[in-house]
Amino acid sequence: MRKIIDVLPLAIFIGLVVVLFSFLSEKDDQLETVLIDSSFPEFSLKALTDDSRILSKDDISDLPALINVWATWCIACRVEHPFLMKLKEESILKIYGLNYKDNKNKALELLKRDGNPFEFSIYDFEGRLAIDLGVYGAPETFFIDKNGVIRERHVGVIDERVWEAKFAKYLDE
Amino acid sequence: MIPELGHIILITHLILCLIGGTMPLLAEYTGRKIFQIPIKKLSVFLFLLISISFLSLVYSFLVDDFSVAYVAQNSNINLPDYYKLAATWGAHEGSLVLWILAMNVWIMGFLFLTHAKDRAFLASVFSISCQVMFAFSLFTLFTSNPFERILPIPPLNGADLNPSLQDIAFTVHPPLLYFGYSGLLIPFAIAVSAMLFSTETKEWAGYSRPWTLFSCSFLTLGIGLGSWWAYYELGWGGWWFWDPVENAAFVPWLLSVALFHSLITSQNRGIFGRWSILLSIFAFATSLLGTFLVRSGILTSVHAFALDPERGLFILGILAFFIIGSLTIYSIKDFEHGEAKAYALTSKEFGFLLNNLLLVVLAVSILFGTIFPLIYEAVTNGKQISVGAPYFEIILFPFAIGLGLLQGVALYLSWGKSTSFNFLPRLLIESASIFVLIILVLFILFDNLYLNSFATIFLASWIAVGTLQVSKKRNLGYWDFLRKRLSVTLAHLGMAILVLGVGVVSSYSLEKEIILAPDDSIEFGGQIVKFESIENSLGPNYFSKKAVISFDDGKELSNLITEKRTYSPSGQLTTEAGIEAEFFKDLYISMGDNLKDDIWSFKIQIKPFIRWIWLGAIMISLGSFLAGMNQIRRSI
Repeated sequence: MRKIIDVLPLAIFIGLVVVLFSFLSEKDDQLETVLIDSSFPEFSLKALTDDSRILSKDDISDLPALINVWATWCIACRVEHPFLMKLKEESILKIYGLNYKDNKNKALELLKRDGNPFEFSIYDFEGRLAIDLGVYGAPETFFIDKNGVIRERHVGVIDERVWEAKFAKYLDE
Repeated sequence: MIPELGHIILITHLILCLIGGTMPLLAEYTGRKIFQIPIKKLSVFLFLLISISFLSLVYSFLVDDFSVAYVAQNSNINLPDYYKLAATWGAHEGSLVLWILAMNVWIMGFLFLTHAKDRAFLASVFSISCQVMFAFSLFTLFTSNPFERILPIPPLNGADLNPSLQDIAFTVHPPLLYFGYSGLLIPFAIAVSAMLFSTETKEWAGYSRPWTLFSCSFLTLGIGLGSWWAYYELGWGGWWFWDPVENAAFVPWLLSVALFHSLITSQNRGIFGRWSILLSIFAFATSLLGTFLVRSGILTSVHAFALDPERGLFILGILAFFIIGSLTIYSIKDFEHGEAKAYALTSKEFGFLLNNLLLVVLAVSILFGTIFPLIYEAVTNGKQISVGAPYFEIILFPFAIGLGLLQGVALYLSWGKSTSFNFLPRLLIESASIFVLIILVLFILFDNLYLNSFATIFLASWIAVGTLQVSKKRNLGYWDFLRKRLSVTLAHLGMAILVLGVGVVSSYSLEKEIILAPDDSIEFGGQIVKFESIENSLGPNYFSKKAVISFDDGKELSNLITEKRTYSPSGQLTTEAGIEAEFFKDLYISMGDNLKDDIWSFKIQIKPFIRWIWLGAIMISLGSFLAGMNQIRRSI
């Protein structure tokens, strides 16, 4: 009897660790799969460049395309900016921007100074579309295929390596 | 160069921790001189290393070295220097370095201030602490390295420190908490060593007591400061939100309180040996578990840390290794665990037992409420639920009543024998008089009586009278009182004051949402509230709208200023509440939304006795710190 009571705390704790571990691995999967293979969510938001222009899902018309979540406060976004410019200059595919919780004037200034790789940028100050997309922060990049379906998601800086490893294969489909 | 220096020194620290974590134990088990190392000197050297590493990170912040990724993410050229310093521990990576530093300070303090007969025991405590520090350094270097560079093109400016963290209280709150959490390492290492070396219960409990008290003292102050910060910075006027991160600190606090009470019994009577060991292990486990819950991202909370499942896995690994390891020793090894002594139902021992039961069950219930949303989500396939204040308040209430009633009589109890309850009539009459007095004062101040506050007000009077009566009855001289009874009197009175504050503020508060244009006025709580003016202003790294609101209670006029700040690097908004703090009540106003032109919504609140909550926390913290110092003084 004495022995069983002695082992009890250990058993309870191992149970707890197993439960926590299963949550942890589950969270992992969700991050990858939640939007993959579903169509891009509906939205209705202003354009960054033009207050009077209301953008919706139908405006993302030139497919396949990348949706890039960016902001001026995001340092990593500046790191990937030249690569996005390169994609545009080489006409590899169209890129649509999602300007995320940003200061409008600063965003416009940055595009003027460093170049604009985007067909247009959706101005999402409150993060409404970003919530639907399950965005964790900037930068994030989504690949949308010719049928308007999200095929891939990348959290963090996109560069040559990431492009080759995760995105390039969808272009050949 | 400086960040690389910090980096290399952190790696050196890691390697030396590995040596410190193995050699002394090997020396004891093999008995070979070759493994012996000077542990006191090594602890000082380790402390110097981690301090230099930490300071080099501070330096990178102060000189705006944005090529260091962590600095770029959490600082900005326009950030005032003081906050650059605070930004060092403002996010995950830097806070880990501070955490290791704190552990190092504790183990160094323990080695220098503990006079153990048994050298092997000290060596073992040092070794186990080094193992934990090693695990933390490994975690830092592999998943959360604060010295990582952004190369080849470093950004010109940083992203800025989270604006709501740019605040005086916040700069002090995390270090206090980290010192509190990491302090629990010492009782843990002592408990494991006590099992390994079969140390006598009375002896090891004596070593453990001061460090548990210090840890509890820091946790109390850290949690109290966090509550104060949330109160004025988040703009809701609440002081406790039952947020997962708050619970993650509250649970180890409850267990540390249970532990040092249980240790008193173990040291004086040589009983509760196994129980104290288990509590030491679990107090440390919950402090790690809190870290895991917050930083793995499996729970969402107002305290946003950079989230990364890999980090969660690593912390879970550390948790599993140390806690499963120690619990295995607990279940297998036959160690000295004190004697079985009979004690009466109304003895001090039984009082401590009851105190421990209540605290531990409460801690488990709160922990359960905190992780229940996860379990629910898993069981129902992704349906989300949040367990909020109502659950925790319902749980807390009966335990608070039980603990409070016990606390009032606890100090009267004596070791071993039955206590005669002839003090009860006097305690009842005196606490009833104090109760009536408080109610009268409240009635005079606020013109109102709320029945639902009566239970807590009575409880507060009960605890206060019980505490003061006993101190008086002991008839100690002035000096003896200061030396022996001040700590416990201070801590228990602090609890009474905290309970009173909570009781009054939760029933006597008034609040109202109002919409005002400049020069409009409105009546609230017997005062004329007028929107005097609004203006734009510019801070070092933000611009703001400042509204001046006047309160006229017929006797005097006071102006409060509330602000809506937009921090320029991140575009984040924060609300600065205008607060007029008085001993008996706070006037609190916070700016809401801009509805049209200069028309704004405001939330005005009157918060009676809210200061008492923090006053109580300060007294508890001070009391436990003094108690710890007394323990150390006595052992020398």
